[in-house]
Amino acid sequence: MPPKPHRVLLDRVSGYADEAAAYVRRRRVARQPFARLYYTEGRASDHAADSLAGAELFIAAGRLIEIAGKRPNAGKRAR
Amino acid sequence: MDDGQTSEVVSGEAAASALAYLTEMSPDLRGGAILDAEGDVLAASGRPTRWRDDAAALLAVADKAGDEPVEQLHIGSEQGEVFGVRQSGLVALAVTDRFALSSLLLFDMRAILRDLAEGGDGKGRDGDRDEGGGRDAA
Repeated sequence: MPPKPHRVLLDRVSGYADEAAAYVRRRRVARQPFARLYYTEGRASDHAADSLAGAELFIAAGRLIEIAGKRPNAGKRAR
Repeated sequence: MDDGQTSEVVSGEAAASALAYLTEMSPDLRGGAILDAEGDVLAASGRPTRWRDDAAALLAVADKAGDEPVEQLHIGSEQGEVFGVRQSGLVALAVTDRFALSSLLLFDMRAILRDLAEGGDGKGRDGDRDEGGGRDAA
């Protein structure tokens, strides 16, 4: 027996909602700030923003971002 | 990896050419600088004195965070991303938009530093890396 029409609609809406939730979750993870330092022989260390070294790194990096300003051709490139 | 000091004296003109080449190859790049082993700016996209001071501060903080000097750094925040590479006694710093292609940018930064250290202008020995083997071809 075919499902009732309103159930098809509900399933579709909840499917879209699940997709949107996953997108927001992925975006939240991707937008997390990070600070990674790499050393000789491939060793690397990650510094959280709430650690002392991490906070200092973010402040220092923020100054460089401020000097660099905006991209010269911002808005001209088709993404 | 060769982390020794460069045997060549890198001119500001060559460094500026290398920085221009890096900017041309990296559409996400907002600005950058190339510094020598003493931390003096050889070329920069903005005010050299600010780049020198703020680059020195960043490298000092990064070196202090571990038990040895960093070779490479990558910091991302909502405002943008900062990349740094030490190679052959030179330092390259780059600031990009978020979600830049980090591996490619770091590869290009290493390549220009290596070439500058060998006395080139940062464009590679044949000067045509973007023909076939360049990042746009990938």
